[in-house]
Amino acid sequence: MFDEFETPEPDEAVKLALRRIDEATARGEGSDADGLAFNEVVVNMGPQHPSTHGVLRLVVTLDGELVKDVIPVIGYLHRCKEKLAERRTYFQYIPIVDRTEYVASINCEWGYVLAVEKLAGIRPTRRAEFIRVITGELMRIASHLVAVGTFTADLSPLGTAMVFYMFRDRELILDLMEELTGARMMFNYYRFGGVRYDLPDGWVEKCRDLMKRMPKLIDEYESLVDDNAIFLQRTQGKGVITQQDVVDYGITGPNARASGVAHDLRRTRPYSVYPELDFEVCTLDHGDIFDRYKVRMHEMRESVKIVEQCLDMLPKGPVQSGSLRAPYVITPPPGSCYVGQENPRGEYGTYIESDGSRYPYRLKYRDPCFCNLQLFPKLLSGNKIADAVAISGSIDLVLGGIDR
Amino acid sequence: MGLQVGSNPMTMDAIAVHLAATFAGDLEGVRIQEPDTVVARCAREKLKDVARRLKGDADAGYETLNWIAGVDRRTSIESVYHVYSWKTNTYIELHVELPRAKPEVDTVSDVWPAADWHEREAWDMVGIVFIGHPDPRRILLKDDFIGHPLRKDYVDLAENHPHV
Repeated sequence: MFDEFETPEPDEAVKLALRRIDEATARGEGSDADGLAFNEVVVNMGPQHPSTHGVLRLVVTLDGELVKDVIPVIGYLHRCKEKLAERRTYFQYIPIVDRTEYVASINCEWGYVLAVEKLAGIRPTRRAEFIRVITGELMRIASHLVAVGTFTADLSPLGTAMVFYMFRDRELILDLMEELTGARMMFNYYRFGGVRYDLPDGWVEKCRDLMKRMPKLIDEYESLVDDNAIFLQRTQGKGVITQQDVVDYGITGPNARASGVAHDLRRTRPYSVYPELDFEVCTLDHGDIFDRYKVRMHEMRESVKIVEQCLDMLPKGPVQSGSLRAPYVITPPPGSCYVGQENPRGEYGTYIESDGSRYPYRLKYRDPCFCNLQLFPKLLSGNKIADAVAISGSIDLVLGGIDR
Repeated sequence: MGLQVGSNPMTMDAIAVHLAATFAGDLEGVRIQEPDTVVARCAREKLKDVARRLKGDADAGYETLNWIAGVDRRTSIESVYHVYSWKTNTYIELHVELPRAKPEVDTVSDVWPAADWHEREAWDMVGIVFIGHPDPRRILLKDDFIGHPLRKDYVDLAENHPHV
């Protein structure tokens, strides 16, 4: 019977945190001049903590307000995505990819579809390529709106205004996507060799209209926080990711670009029609919280530019190569391939091994958040606990992708 | 300043020739997978040494570990390392075959720090033992979970989930 007064047995992560304190004490670290022992406390943050944006759990060792050690615990949202692939055909698996990283799900679909197309030697039609870039970049904007909005809400009450503005405008993008795909977030839209539906009547004008408004909206967001002394104080010079960290831990996406690393798969390893498009890879030099926020704002502007170009260049033609029957039955030849795709959070890679049957033999994701989260113990240690919340918000984690 | 992508551009052929010459006897079956990956096999005893030398290579330093995947080949278990070279902007994919009865290999987390969690994931999912790993806990599944679900012979029984 459940006894509410019984202290539960600490799990492995908490035991590890306690063991590390004991080891540090044994080494003579931390005790003060009088030989008094530590004041350290192990605090469990999450998995239901509002600032963790999902079910991230951090076992934090605190000395007063100072973070001494962090042990991230993940897996609370594990849904066996890689195992599920073994029992589903390539086609049946598309809607499941949506649910790995649900904030920018269409970019995940894109990564998966790219990998299967490469494996099976399918080429999408040109019109479909442009529709993919348009939808992918729209979701990049929507995803950055969530990232920056929730991050400012973590920082202070001033962010609550920001998060409402951003979620309001994200809804405009999701409305467009809903009209196109029939779903608000779980699109199931990309197909091998194309996309599921052509653009509905009047969609291009609506999209153009929104893209005209978007830069003004982004200016409005920036005017809310950029000159705010409290915001600057809390973000500048805090939580610096160095270029060595980028190399050591495989940090990708806006987090790497904020540290001055011009690594953007849309440019360094181009796929789809990105080589034909004119856009900048946004980099900043400091690698602190403020630069990570700023890079995302820049990227939204660039995405607006990309969408506008694609709407201008949009060719006529079919949105699905081959017959409509083609995407449903796919048996790629035996072999393996890896395709990395620039997700809003970094390199979203899909590694597929085929044994020539209708089912993937092994499917593996390289999730950007999984790699970025690995830096947390190093990044958060030595900061105040309130800054730790700000830093973890600025990294922009989506737990669905990490836990798979 | 600092880190640049593709500071030492090399063609894939040049990289393959360079690796085959530098790592003669260590890397086997070096081949190019278009457009940007060199695939090679490596014996498990040599893995750590090869990893160190790959990372320190002056022309094509493979500095960033991208991911590790465990693959169950039914007769054996394979550990796949995917490493990125900033200098040449290319990848190398290292395949290390391990016997099914004793799937053990040296950890590379001291060479590439990123390997830490990826190795934990490979242990969790496929049951590869990484000798010398600093923190060999499960990562995605619960601590008391029994079995390794991405093994092809894994059978999902209620006893495997003691916490449910």
